[in-house]
Amino acid sequence: MKNPIAIFLMMLVPLIMTLLVGLVFGGQSEQKLPVIKVLFVDNDGGIISGFLKNGMQQDTLAKMIDLKIVDADAGKKLMEDGKASALIEIPENFSRDFFDRKPVEIRLVKNPSETFLPVIVEEMVKTMVVLLDRAAFVFAGPLDMARVLFDSGRWPTGDEIKKILEDSKNGITLAGGYFSGSLITFKTETVSDPTDGKRDVEFNIFAFVIPGSMIFGLLFISEITLRDLVRERGAGTLQRILVAPLRGVHVVTGKVMVTFCITAVTCIIILVISAIGFGVNIGRPLPLIVHFIGVILMCTGLMSFFYGFINSERTADAVMSVVIIIMALFGGSLIPFEQLNDTLQAIGRFSPVYWAGDGFKQIFLMNAGLADIAMHLVIVYSIAVATLLPGGILLEKKLGRGD
Amino acid sequence: MIEVSEIRKTFGSVKAVDGINFHVKKGEIYGLLGPNGAGKTTTISMISGLLKPDSGSITVAGIDIGGKSGQIRKRLGVIPQEIALYDELSGRENLHFWGSLYGLSGKKLREAADRMLELVNLTERANDNVRDYSGGMKRRVNLCAGLIHDPDLILLDEPTLGIDPQARASILKIIRDEATSGKTVIYTTHYLEEAENLCDRIAIIDRGTIHAEGTLRELTELAGEEDVVTLTGNFKSGVTKEILSGLRIDHLEDGMVRFYVSERETIGMVLNKFFNSGVSIENVSIKEPSLESVFLRITGYELRD
Repeated sequence: MKNPIAIFLMMLVPLIMTLLVGLVFGGQSEQKLPVIKVLFVDNDGGIISGFLKNGMQQDTLAKMIDLKIVDADAGKKLMEDGKASALIEIPENFSRDFFDRKPVEIRLVKNPSETFLPVIVEEMVKTMVVLLDRAAFVFAGPLDMARVLFDSGRWPTGDEIKKILEDSKNGITLAGGYFSGSLITFKTETVSDPTDGKRDVEFNIFAFVIPGSMIFGLLFISEITLRDLVRERGAGTLQRILVAPLRGVHVVTGKVMVTFCITAVTCIIILVISAIGFGVNIGRPLPLIVHFIGVILMCTGLMSFFYGFINSERTADAVMSVVIIIMALFGGSLIPFEQLNDTLQAIGRFSPVYWAGDGFKQIFLMNAGLADIAMHLVIVYSIAVATLLPGGILLEKKLGRGD
Repeated sequence: MIEVSEIRKTFGSVKAVDGINFHVKKGEIYGLLGPNGAGKTTTISMISGLLKPDSGSITVAGIDIGGKSGQIRKRLGVIPQEIALYDELSGRENLHFWGSLYGLSGKKLREAADRMLELVNLTERANDNVRDYSGGMKRRVNLCAGLIHDPDLILLDEPTLGIDPQARASILKIIRDEATSGKTVIYTTHYLEEAENLCDRIAIIDRGTIHAEGTLRELTELAGEEDVVTLTGNFKSGVTKEILSGLRIDHLEDGMVRFYVSERETIGMVLNKFFNSGVSIENVSIKEPSLESVFLRITGYELRD
């Protein structure tokens, strides 16, 4: 290691970048949250399901949620096509059973291709269910009266309304902490994902924004480290190294390994800061380590490959920043992937940054296992292999030619 | 020690080296003298293994560098034209780094670095960053980085470029001492006096080809015993030809003539003839047989610093 201080300072760049992005997004999370597409299947058509439906179209929720009322078949089809983040299904006779204080269940279907938006919907529905459930106990008397009115099909008189309100007031006063049992439950499902339901991770905005900015930073640190090759060529030190009794392959392997190590150390530091400083759940060890290694290999490989075509620092200045920013932009590092429109998301799925960052999101937010991120791992490791080997060969040839 | 046969190197349409041959004996300082772009650095790069010749062969101690360059490289010390050092490291750290590439380590490496720093009078500044060194100091460390592993064959590519006379003298002394201790040196330069004073044999290289080769004495003999006279004034070439009849003219144009004389008295006679014909002479330059006149005679132009 020629200059540890320089390397340390270099590693600070992605760290600071990650922290800044985390703070910017974390501090203003409400403003930055994307609009969530939610489907609502109302098999009940009663007062309570109407209350839930209207509740989600009011004030702040209306800004967050794009609610679409559909029938069961259309909802199923749209979810299978991945057109919405979640589907809420209210069963038949939901309102009647609620008034009768019979157990009822709300069904929530989540889109497995999205990481955190379905979790938000889940949390929101949970809250509504708790509110309704508690209300069923507190307002038992008034609800009985309302039930009579509901069944009679006529408008209540002034006295009847007065009586309901007085009983409601008494109910609130006496309720205290004597709640027990649940009348309303809700069941969560994920489209084509039988493993769901085992996950229970609290949503953390940093866990949502840090993976993208971390990958962005890791690409930069890999780039900066490999840039030494062209910088040293310009300074003449590379030529001096090459006349020493070393083969080009040794020089390239050494440089690629240094890049891997520096990128890995940077990533570890970011993960530790994320966990300790921002309370991010970094998930299960095995998927985290496997994905971590894949991502570091991928970053090193991508940069080795690109530098196989770059001859001067000037070219690197012109090309590399643009390449990284484009990959990061479409991959969701700069703007959360979920906020990109459908076209950009479709393009973004071709960005290695998306698969690297989303893999970490799944691990952080969903406590994902190896099977859950299998697709991410296949893609990340494939990119690593497809770029690392040709990149190394290109770099070695370049050195051998004396370019 | 080293045998270079018919090496060629082309970059695109430019023939950088076009069939160069020479050999250098053990303990000899062999100079490649030529202007910028003559092919000196390309030749050094091919000998050091940095560039592969398009054709031809280079052998060091009987071993072809194309086949077993690893073995040869351990015995080579290359001092490049650029100051190829890490600015952010100290002089000592630089020497440790470069020495380690040649297999030196531990006490042996530390001793070698200390010895080199002492040799170039940089012991006191050894721990300062190279970026804080003067140009001459950097050049000296640059030299040390190529010598730290005690190589048998030293390749120096214009090692005194752009430095003060004192630093230059120090570097030349070190090179001379290395050769005296049995090291073989190939030295490229475009400074005539360096080649004259340092090299045992000199090759005059221009446009990728060696035009003449030999000791300084052999080369000056090529120029003959004649002085080179250059006159400038308001004369026409026709008149000049008449005045200089019987003398060997090297270059003639209106207002300038360069010719050779074997006796100094001839110059006075020639000048009288010019004055008598009403021509005014503005400048007279006389050069005794030297490497400069050899270079001039062979290439047709002067080699300027």
